[in-house]
Parts: sequence; structure tokens; C-alpha cells
Amino acid sequence: MTRPLVEIQNLRIAFPTEDGSLHEAVRGVSFTLGREKLGMVGESGSGKSLSGRALLGVLPDYARMQADVLRFDDIDLLEAPRGTRRKLRGGRMGMILQDPKFSLNPVMRVGEQIVEAIRIGDRRISRDAARRTTLDILATMHIRDPEQVFDRYPHELSGGMGQRVMIAMMVVREPDLLIADEPTSALDVTVQLQVLSILDELVTRRQMGLIFISHDLQLVSRFCDRVLVMYAGQIVETLVAGRLNEARHPYTRGLLACLPTIDGPLEPLAILQRQADWATQL
Amino acid sequence: MTRPILSVENLTVRFGATTAVDNVSFAVAPGESFGLVGESGSGKSTILRTIMGLVGDWSGTVQVDGLEAAKTPRRQFAQHVQMVFQDPYASLHPRHQIGRAIAEPMRIHGLPNAEARTMELLDLIGLGSKFAYRYPHELSGGQRQRVAIARALALSPKLLLLDEPTSALDVSIQAEILNLLNRLRQELGLSFAIVSHNLAVVSYMCDRLMVMQHAKVVETLTREQLRNRDLNEAYTRDFLAASAL
Ligand SMILES: Nc1ncnc2c1ncn2[C@@H]1O[C@H](COP(=O)(O)OP(=O)(O)OP(=O)(O)O)[C@@H](O)[C@H]1O
Ligand SMILES: Nc1ncnc2c1ncn2[C@@H]1O[C@H](COP(=O)(O)OP(=O)(O)O)[C@@H](O)[C@H]1O
Ligand SMILES: [Mg+2]
Ligand SMILES: [Mg+2]
Repeated sequence: MTRPLVEIQNLRIAFPTEDGSLHEAVRGVSFTLGREKLGMVGESGSGKSLSGRALLGVLPDYARMQADVLRFDDIDLLEAPRGTRRKLRGGRMGMILQDPKFSLNPVMRVGEQIVEAIRIGDRRISRDAARRTTLDILATMHIRDPEQVFDRYPHELSGGMGQRVMIAMMVVREPDLLIADEPTSALDVTVQLQVLSILDELVTRRQMGLIFISHDLQLVSRFCDRVLVMYAGQIVETLVAGRLNEARHPYTRGLLACLPTIDGPLEPLAILQRQADWATQL
Repeated sequence: MTRPILSVENLTVRFGATTAVDNVSFAVAPGESFGLVGESGSGKSTILRTIMGLVGDWSGTVQVDGLEAAKTPRRQFAQHVQMVFQDPYASLHPRHQIGRAIAEPMRIHGLPNAEARTMELLDLIGLGSKFAYRYPHELSGGQRQRVAIARALALSPKLLLLDEPTSALDVSIQAEILNLLNRLRQELGLSFAIVSHNLAVVSYMCDRLMVMQHAKVVETLTREQLRNRDLNEAYTRDFLAASAL
């Protein structure tokens, strides 16, 4: 078997708190990623985004990070100099952030931002060619009237359009590893399917590894090959996608029970009763 | 018929060359929960933002509780209708503690006991009063959206406009928030206009829904029609099919 694209062992991330103690946000996360779609689900605050950020090297300065192994391809990320990591972020690794407001430049037209992203990857591509690629990618993202959207500023886009622009910016670079942090939470269902198929295509055609972070269990289990379920900074269960119904962990089962359905009853939804022993001390 | 809590007639909104909302009409009865669903970019958020007075160039008539949006001072309007935005980051000042953010509308409107009510609201939305002293960057996305909901409830408005109120929340918190919203609607006689791309959420929360595509209304359905698959338009059927996957 070939070596996985990403290997993480015993990742721990903590933040200093007001009273001088440490808040342990990620507590011993280990997983590997091949050229596959790996889903990461779990409630907000469970450490999904932080795990992704650690891999990319964009944790806040005051975060304390430790790991036994943090490897991307043949690069030991724990030892890699800052410059190397920065270069990886612009090229082989990409992250679609949860919030468009943080990753789009508010004072630059969105089309220009995608053009930049393309040309950072390859300066030999002319502006005109990059513009055409940009209009094409916007069209594949099912943006109506790409020419008009090209000239808009981020605040002039609807929520779902902003997300698609961000995804487009990452996708045009064709990275080897893409961490998508809740990338489709603002998309309507029909557009969502189309955007997911674009990501899917990159995984199969470009042999990209994808970490798909989401709190939408059903979406993740339909779309991904494997699903990690996180709770309180730990992975509590790993599921083969599509087998959501076979979930064992009471936390995962509890999450499933909370979902409303189109034809379901109108009584109050089940509420997750958190148990102290779900978060086993490691 | 009793006077609607919200009535929108022949609303058209333009942004330069783009027509974001094209001659849209609907009304929401007191106590009713009304859903807006449809294509991304079809104008749903723009409708809510126009009702809140956040959009410049529009025509048509918008009334909340009999007050005309075009003629009523914003401050007075704010006591009748509040909005929870799609983007939980935009609505919170990065350097203001959460407690201050929630209390702010009460202070502006000179309400007494803002502090106590802030703590109560923090409990209500499931964060607890210790969060009053945290800053937005210390909260995860879901936690921030809960704060935004608390803030919208602060002035006890009769009508809440909710733009994707739970799309940033994990499902366990979504269930808690939806239950909370339903309880508040009953106890306080609130009305909702809810934008969501999640048809399950809309079917659970809304008595009626309006489907939009490309700035126009596709059709308006009751919950029963949705559940009986009594749909008239192809777009609605596609939307339902994609939702059921
Ligand atoms: N301030 C603005 N300036 C220019 N165009 C705008 C502005 N706000 C919205 N638009 C445009 O109006 C249209 C409708 O946007 P709106 O935000 O209402 O969509 P939406 O239905 O809420 O979509 P989503 O589901 O993606 O949030 C889009 O074409 C959008 O780009
Ligand atoms: N910059 C930060 N400073 C302090 N605490 C943080 C910071 N970022 C995240 N946290 C905390 O770490 C935990 C995990 O956060 P995160 O990975 O963002 O969760 P999610 O699973 O929702 O993506 C949360 O308790 C959050 O409050
Ligand atoms: Mg997150
Ligand atoms: Mg919107």
C-alpha cells in the first residue's frame, strides 16, 4: 500500500485562558488521509476547524500545538520552516474557510481575486487566459451571469455566491490537499449537488485528498468515503460513508435523532443528552 | 382577514443592472411562520434586508404590523421586527464582549434591567451567563450564531426575520434552537419569516412557504401541500428531489 497523503498522530491544541490554565480544544486526534474524501463531523466547538488549521499551519500564534506526527506527503510539517509552509498553502495545500468574509478581500472585485489565485500558481498564464478560466469556473459553479459577478465586490454577493467564489478560488489551483471547512453550508440543495460534484471530480481526476468538514451528517455520509465523528476535541467514531445508520457511538446516534425531516412529526425535536463519559480522558 | 403582521406587495429591488427581487408579493398572518426557499442568489435575503430598511433602491409596499416601512423611523420599526443574519460573523463587533453585544439594543432603546435580561437571554440560547464576558473570536461559528439570535430577541419584537438561522449550527444545536424558536413563537405570539435552503427545516418550522428562483416567486405552498407532494412547478419538484437525496 502506498503511504497516505496526510498522517496525523496525537494532535493536541490548547489555548491559554484568562485564569492561567489551558483550554484543551483538540485532545489527541489521529488519522490518515489518502487520495480520498474524508468527512469530519461533530458539533461546533468539537475541534474540526482547528484540526484543519493545524494541518495548514494557520493556527493563532497563542495556540499551543503538539503532535507526535504531522506529515503531508514527504514533508514533516512539525519541522518545516515557515517559508515552506507558506509556499505549501499557496500551492499544494488549500483551505476553504468556513467564512467567506475572512478569505475574500473586501476591496477587490471577486473575479480579480480568482485571477490572482490562478496566476500565483503559474505566472506564465496571461491575465486574459486567467480571466477566461475564471469565467468558466464561475459558470461551472452555476453562477448566473459570470461576467457580471466577476466585477462585484464580496459584499455584493449572496451568501451562497460568496461560498462558491471561495470554492472557485481554491479549486482553480488544483491543490493536492484541500481542506473544505463547511464549504456548502449556505448553498441551496440543487447548487450544493453541483458544487460537490466539482470537488468530487478533483478527487478522482487530480487524485486530490479532501477533508470535508461539516456538521451535516447526512450530506457527509453521502458524499465522503469515510467519516470521522468528533466530540469534545477527540475522534469518537470512524464510519464508512453511507453506513450512517450503523453508527454505534451514542453521540452519533444522538445527532441523527435530532434531525427534522420533511415528513416528520411537528413535536419538539429530540435534544442531545450529553454524557460525561463520551469524552474519554486520554 | 385579520391584518397581516407582514405584508409585502409588488416588491422590486435593483442593484444597478441586477434585479434582485422582481415584483414579489406575500403576507404573513399574526402568529404564522412563513418560509422562503429557493435558488441561491434568488433574492431571499434581499427581501428580508429590504424589510429591515437595509436596502436603498426598492419599490412596492412593505408593512409590518400596519406600519409602512417607507414612512416609519427605523428606531420605531426595530421594536416590531428584528433580523438574524445568514452570516454570524458580520453581526458582532469583534472588540465587544458578548454580553455587551446582546445588551446593546436594550441600551439604545432605554430598556430597564438590560443586564439581567442579557443573562436570561444567554441561558435561553444555551450558552449560559459566563459567555457574557467572552469576545466573538473566542467563540466557534455556532456559538456566535446563538448570540446573534439572543440579540434579535432582546427587544421582544413581534416579527422575527431569520436568514438561514441554523445553517451554521450543528444538528444538535439546530434542534435546540428550532425548539426554542417554536416555544418562543407560541409563548410570545411571535411570527417568523424564515429563509432556509433546508426543506426539512422549513417543513418542520413553517405553516406556509414560498419558493423563489431568479428573483421571482415560483409558487407558494402550505405545509400540507408540501407534504402531500402537491406541487405545481417543475423547479419545486427538482428542489424537493435534491433535498430528499
Ligand atoms: N449589496 C448588493 N449589491 C449588489 N448586488 C447585490 C447586493 N446584495 C445582493 N445582491 C445581488 O442580488 C441577488 C440576490 O441576492 P440575495 O442575497 O437576496 O440572494 P439569496 O436568495 O439570499 O441567496 P443565498 O441563498 O445564496 O443566500 C444576487 O444576484 C446578489 O448578488
Ligand atoms: N482562536 C481561539 N482562541 C481561543 N479558543 C479557540 C480559538 N479557536 C477555537 N477555539 C476553541 O477551540 C474549540 C474548537 O474550535 P473549532 O475547531 O473552531 O470548532 P469546530 O469543530 O466548530 O470547527 C472551541 O471550544 C473554541 O472555542
Ligand atoms: Mg468550525
Ligand atoms: Mg441569502
